[in-house]
Amino acid sequence: MSDESSGGSAGGEIDRRELLKKAGAVGAGAVAASALTGTAKAATKRPRATPIKRGGRIVWGLESDPAHVAPFGGILTANHWAKEFAYDSLVEWDRNLNVRPALAEKYEILNKTQIRWTLKKGVRFHNGKELTAADVKYSVERMLNPPLPGSISTVAQVPAIDRVQVVSKYVFILHLKQPDARVIGFFAWQRYAPIVPEGLYDQINVARNAIGTGPYRMLGYEPNDRVEYVKFARHWKTGFPYMDSMQLKILGDEQARVAALRAGAIDGATLSVEVARSLANNRDLTVLKGPNAAFRELQMTIKRGEDKPWHKKAVRLAVNHAINRADIIRRVYSGEAEYSGHVPPGYGPWPLSDKELREKYEKFDLPLARKLMRDAGHARGFSVTMTTFALQDYPLISAVVQSQLKAINIDVQIVAQEAGTFAANNGRGTFDWDLTGRGMRGDVDGYVAEFHPAAPVFNIWYPEYRNPKAWRGIGNGRIQLDPAKRVPIYKAAQRELMLDPVQVPLVAIKKYQVVRKRVKNMYVAFSDFNTGLRNVWLDR
Amino acid sequence: MVSYTLRRIAFAIPTLIIVSIGIFLLVRLLPGDIIDILFGGDQTASEEVKQQAREQLGLDGSYAEQYWNWISGVVQGDFGFSLRNAEPVSNIVFDAMTVTLELVILALLIATIVGVPLGVLSAVKRDTGWDLGARVGGLVGLSVPSFWLATLLLLFTSRAFGWVPPLVYISPFDDPVANLSQFILPALSISVFTMAIVMRMVRATMLEVLGQDYVRTARAKGVGRKTVVSKHALRNALIPVVTIIGFEIGVLIGGAAIIETIFGLPGVGYVLLQAIFGRDYPVIQAMTLLIAFTFIFANLLVDLLYGVLDPRISQE
Repeated sequence: MSDESSGGSAGGEIDRRELLKKAGAVGAGAVAASALTGTAKAATKRPRATPIKRGGRIVWGLESDPAHVAPFGGILTANHWAKEFAYDSLVEWDRNLNVRPALAEKYEILNKTQIRWTLKKGVRFHNGKELTAADVKYSVERMLNPPLPGSISTVAQVPAIDRVQVVSKYVFILHLKQPDARVIGFFAWQRYAPIVPEGLYDQINVARNAIGTGPYRMLGYEPNDRVEYVKFARHWKTGFPYMDSMQLKILGDEQARVAALRAGAIDGATLSVEVARSLANNRDLTVLKGPNAAFRELQMTIKRGEDKPWHKKAVRLAVNHAINRADIIRRVYSGEAEYSGHVPPGYGPWPLSDKELREKYEKFDLPLARKLMRDAGHARGFSVTMTTFALQDYPLISAVVQSQLKAINIDVQIVAQEAGTFAANNGRGTFDWDLTGRGMRGDVDGYVAEFHPAAPVFNIWYPEYRNPKAWRGIGNGRIQLDPAKRVPIYKAAQRELMLDPVQVPLVAIKKYQVVRKRVKNMYVAFSDFNTGLRNVWLDR
Repeated sequence: MVSYTLRRIAFAIPTLIIVSIGIFLLVRLLPGDIIDILFGGDQTASEEVKQQAREQLGLDGSYAEQYWNWISGVVQGDFGFSLRNAEPVSNIVFDAMTVTLELVILALLIATIVGVPLGVLSAVKRDTGWDLGARVGGLVGLSVPSFWLATLLLLFTSRAFGWVPPLVYISPFDDPVANLSQFILPALSISVFTMAIVMRMVRATMLEVLGQDYVRTARAKGVGRKTVVSKHALRNALIPVVTIIGFEIGVLIGGAAIIETIFGLPGVGYVLLQAIFGRDYPVIQAMTLLIAFTFIFANLLVDLLYGVLDPRISQE
């Protein structure tokens, strides 16, 4: 099984070095070109010199319905799956999560709360209108207050943007309410930050259609059925995209996706590890895999007025060291997973190294775990209810954790819940332990912010948790705009969190996508989106 | 007949009101509302933002207030808007119902066309190889889960013939042949259970009717065997079968959820399932009410059909 997709960047793209040259050093200093600088572990093969063929149509099987394709306030991952080809943002990530210019030619830090952006000239929307700073102003205002059918719940993901000041047709200043290093990652992630033409919501039904600057123009979204795209010939990347059209077909059932792949009715889809592996010998198909932002973790609550055994740091550490992650990787994921800290491996330079996790912070050490339990006065253990999702790998990983914790006399009762019920209980903090998963974030801050008392959820989940060293790091990291200086701050904060864990990270899983042989240049995006499809061409 | 029909419709109204209240309360008794779903996994949202979202979706009033707003809209034909995509629920329901109705009608047709003759054959050729085959087939039909059969059919056709039904919904008015090729496998999967029930019911009632005096009399008068079976026996044997088919409409609509998911058909079951996962109250309420209405309407039709098949029933 191998990643056979040919890599390489599309024509007209500007590499990171060029961007660095373009981003001038002004005021407090230039923001380095990347919020996620460094090379992710995802697909790092050299591009293969295969001539790109143009034209053709691809059909991609989506796992779930997006509900709508509105540009702002889409809460479901599927919302972005459906709309991601219609829109661009000011900057973008490449496949290794390096930030590159997109609609913005450059940006300059004027001071800690002002960033001046210069847009590329001649960028066209799908309706022919030229992109201007007024469009960005309109878009940012909707990011800050998404109209229906979007949800204002996504506002929590938006950094501290105050307003957009239009300077000229192509120049604007982004004013921040306070210094906030999440800005660049927020735009590069694109999920909540597409740029749309001014007045879009008055022009079309945004739930069913889109007008953006993306490589494909949306023809329409049929709920619970499909999304249709055609090539946008006037895309700002000259000669891009390569295919004539694209259909995203919603196929919720995995076996239906497999059958459609075998029959050639679709060209690719995301599949579970076991199912994808079963197709490895099919001569018409290529199995792709890659690291993914999703990782699994064990959450605990430490609430006021309660006196649970895990309120003691020693017990939480004992749990951490009694969990054998290598065993989980082998038994649950057939070897296709990695150790994960609070920031998942593959997320640029931010996560702790695998070696550090294996040998120190997440070392499987039963004698140490037993000693910690004894020191905490819980040598005889205790009972606890652990809630999890009743789907995917969650029941299985819960069962393995349950069996492992028996070694330190912790009797774990597993309660598997439907996603809505689980979300309700998790959001309200009505649980003792939750075995849950995390996803992609625009900035490293998104992975650790909840451990800081300023996060609303802190007071719901663990108001009695104290970790001043980690808090200092998280607070300083958010206002430090220089990525080079941020990296050690966040690594130190993660180490402090591992020394006194209130959420115990477990493993990061790999994502599998299967494509037909004719699909070239596809890759599994770390972000959990299908960004690779933007660059795909068909060997017809 | 008219007063009988009106009486039945009058009985249906309180049933629907009770069902509407039940549905309204039940979806709200589910742990977690759409706000929890929307904010699930978001650790940074404050209570103020959540309250704002609640107001945005019209979920800030009391249950009584929300019910009144909903039901007063329903009687005027306004089912409200989806909480997930702000689409008018009536549009969502209409689109989905078209797909499901076609699926259910096709499934019922297959079940009846295959089930009734098989039942008759089994009864007429009692204790022969035909009878044994039909009975075993019936047992298999009852035992095989439709989702398993659907998956199997899909994987089989994809492996053996490199073919799966068209993925994108095709209206029967646009292309009847393509539409049929899209619906035949799902309809077959969902019809097998009903087919087995119909076959067994027809066999049992036919055996009973064939032993009746009037059948013997007809034979004694020299009426041909085919005529006795088709005109005298089958018509009377169909009364309980019609009842079963009426009930099966509800079962088929319910069972369609999984089948529609497997075949990627955007029907009522699939849409309802998505709405439940997303706690999209207006869609859940409208869809469930519609299913209840269909069930009641189908049973009303069955009652009226009794009258046609046996005029003594409506006179009573």
